Amino acid sequence: MLPLSLLNAAQNKPMLVELKNGETFNGHLVNCDNFMNITLREVYQTNAEADRFFKLKECYIRGSTIKYLRIPDNLLDVVKEEQNRAREANRGGRGVVTGNRGRGLPARGARGTRGGPARSVRGRGRGA
Amino acid sequence: MDSLIPFTTSGALMDCVDRKMLVILRDGRKLHGVLRSYDQFANLVLEDTVERIYHGNAFAESWYGLYLIRGENVVLIGEIDLDQEDDVPLKQVDYNVLEPYHKEDVEDKKHREEAKSQVLFEEKGFSKEGGEGDGY
Repeated sequence: MLPLSLLNAAQNKPMLVELKNGETFNGHLVNCDNFMNITLREVYQTNAEADRFFKLKECYIRGSTIKYLRIPDNLLDVVKEEQNRAREANRGGRGVVTGNRGRGLPARGARGTRGGPARSVRGRGRGA
Repeated sequence: MDSLIPFTTSGALMDCVDRKMLVILRDGRKLHGVLRSYDQFANLVLEDTVERIYHGNAFAESWYGLYLIRGENVVLIGEIDLDQEDDVPLKQVDYNVLEPYHKEDVEDKKHREEAKSQVLFEEKGFSKEGGEGDGY
């Protein structure tokens, strides 16, 4: 479970985000990306001295300004359970896939006809 | 560690997963927690995190829970020896008691560092910290 996958799994969960400058943002995660850019909704912003508070309906935070995120303690367990469930589901699915694969083999042979033009392309490449 | 694993962030931290670690951040915070995950940027997931503050021969803890730390802010990560961690010759006190002293220490250190960087910049030809690209 990589840190950013955990963040992805924390969507719609409450969290506290502290920026490098000490400001903190309390809110629910709406979305995030691989740069750790995030959007929060129903946000309480606190300045670095923790003596002024602002309420924002929604805010966007650039990932590079973040120091850390504090996320719900049970999230790791929740995610682990979800992964297990997905794995179980996959196992069931894979059995079907194996069945398909058997049936799929002739299709791969049929693709041999498509291999013709591919080979000629390779030949051209070598010539050039 | 196995010499087959190259010395990279991913290689060096592999043995630390699920161990109790000390993490020091650039802002001076010292966090203790169980390392659950990390990536190539040293972004860390710490479980059961506590922050420790020190003053004189006393320390105090404050419980924070699950942390996702952005790698940039990490200064060091070190494993805590569970056999030895209770042998430290410090006594634990209540966080609220120690916090004002700790805040004072932090403030003092800030002033000292400012004075130092002033001298380094004006007399010794060093550049200033907090230049372009430094979020701090």
